[in-house]
Amino acid sequence: MNPAPRTAPTIPMIKVLGTISLLCGILIVFTQVTTLARIRHNKEALMHELIEQLLPGIQKQINYGIEPNGDLTILPGLEGEGRRIFAGYDAGGNFLGLVVETNDRGYADTINAMYAYQPDTRTITGFQVVDMRETPGLGDRIRSDPGFLENFKNIDASEAHPIVTVKHGTKKNSWEIDAISGATVSSRAVGRMLQKSVDEKAPIIARNLDRIKRGK
Amino acid sequence: MNESLGHIFLDAFLINNFVLCVFLGMCSFIGISGKFSTAWRMGLSVMFCITVSGILSYYMNILLVHFNATYLRIITYIIIIAATVQLTEMFIKKTSPALFRELGVYLPLITTNCAVLYVPLMLTARNYNLAQTTVFSISGSGGYCAAICLLSLVRERIDLSDISSLAKGTALTLVLAAILSMAFMGFAGMGGGA
Amino acid sequence: MSDTAPSCHASTTATPADNPFLNGLWKQNPVFVQVLGMCPTLAITNSVRNAIAMGLATTFVLVFSNTLISMVRKIIPSQVRIASYIAIIATSVTIVGYLVDAISISVSKALGPFIPLIVANCIILERAEAFAAKKPVVKSFLDGLGMGLGFAFALTCLGTVREVLGAGTWLGIPLFGPHFEPWVLFVLPPGGFIALAIWLLTFSTFRSWRAKKKAAATPALVALSEVHS
Repeated sequence: MNPAPRTAPTIPMIKVLGTISLLCGILIVFTQVTTLARIRHNKEALMHELIEQLLPGIQKQINYGIEPNGDLTILPGLEGEGRRIFAGYDAGGNFLGLVVETNDRGYADTINAMYAYQPDTRTITGFQVVDMRETPGLGDRIRSDPGFLENFKNIDASEAHPIVTVKHGTKKNSWEIDAISGATVSSRAVGRMLQKSVDEKAPIIARNLDRIKRGK
Repeated sequence: MNESLGHIFLDAFLINNFVLCVFLGMCSFIGISGKFSTAWRMGLSVMFCITVSGILSYYMNILLVHFNATYLRIITYIIIIAATVQLTEMFIKKTSPALFRELGVYLPLITTNCAVLYVPLMLTARNYNLAQTTVFSISGSGGYCAAICLLSLVRERIDLSDISSLAKGTALTLVLAAILSMAFMGFAGMGGGA
Repeated sequence: MSDTAPSCHASTTATPADNPFLNGLWKQNPVFVQVLGMCPTLAITNSVRNAIAMGLATTFVLVFSNTLISMVRKIIPSQVRIASYIAIIATSVTIVGYLVDAISISVSKALGPFIPLIVANCIILERAEAFAAKKPVVKSFLDGLGMGLGFAFALTCLGTVREVLGAGTWLGIPLFGPHFEPWVLFVLPPGGFIALAIWLLTFSTFRSWRAKKKAAATPALVALSEVHS
């Protein structure tokens, strides 16, 4: 190799790298600070739109989070993504229902979704995919296929029977979900995430139902 | 995420193979798959780099979250990768100069191999713990190695076939990759979900 | 044409510096001619909207990094040059990530991990090393813009084929009636490979046909062109 001193100009190297890093750091922080408000607004708008589709007529919303010890707390903002419970009220302050977040591993990656839940009757009345990377044309139909979404108008989530995804065309009971033909893995993921969520959250919701209905 | 290790392994290796399904590491996939002997050596080097940088990124992420500096993720991950590749280069140069010469310019190119950066990004997004990270890195990079070896074997076989010179090279490699990818689609649903 | 050359080190000997913008757009199109940046080309093009978004994001990164690198090219010692380039490129990718989030969350979710993966896009490092490191700022800016838009153009071509055949829509607008049976393969991974192979074949056939025409029209240059065929 070249016998010329390669380590001689170390100081200029460090100076240059240091300056560039500083410059880059400033640019990144500047961008982050400038776009923070806008990004938060976008996320809230998206959430709001999805919740409105699940609980039509919603005028007021309270965001609940779940503490590690199982207690319900009111969240000031939108933090705690993936584990939130939204309570919806109409203009007169009457309780409309809950929207619960859930997720599970689909075919390609995690599917994030929300469902509308009526605690009095322990039924699920709606389902919306928030985020997914499922196969276009096949798995991604869990978001748009009207036949699939019909399943969720009234799903029995009581303790008697677990929610389960069944083969396309064989749904007989209200706690079953008719899978999309050709998208079994994605459909099963939906069934799993709903059952998992109801298992975990229904008791907590039942314990705090009074408080939720009063809007506290 | 509470995915089982076995499921992560199957998924990263076969069902969502890095090269044939997620489209990572394409540049090297098309460029180095000419000969099997180069391909498997490259594959192993990439496996090493991905595993080491995956584990290091896991710890880096913990640090970043602790200091609330997650906007530095991309930069720190890429620095870890560049350092790992540099170390791998020096290690190979010391232990096997012949291999070093054979891999030539492709060794430093591992830095720009999407597959290497994909692993830290995914383990961050899916919240893997250390065991899951290790399995994910090894099986994902193993899938890359397997795919590149498969392709090189096929290419070697048809190297002497009579194909129009226009189609030779990249276009043909892509068609071969398409067929391999279709074969891998057969693994869909293996393991029956988590 | 030697398509078997290592893809990440395409020949840059024929770069006409007089019009770097058009050069990047067509003559040395990063996807169709140089065969670089394959990962996002195959992964993101299953819909035209995603293809255009990715193309524009990459253009931003190219312009930003080319310009910045060209500005500091004289003060960077050669040993730390790759490290500095990567730092600058990673910065611009982080920035573009925030910008895409701010513009449209749904596009950001659709592009997913491929936005941070722009860092690993061979095109950007190649242009930095081969052009921005040596040429003045304005030319580097134009080169970045040309390469980026050329990349976006290539992605859109690929996205169009894949979306029209694979889903029957273009930018979400249905093109055929309700009885159209989509050729689903094209929005799946193998379809990406096949669509790109077809485009590459089309382009190289077109270029070879043009070269033949030129050779026929100017017999004095026939000897020269044969060297390149």
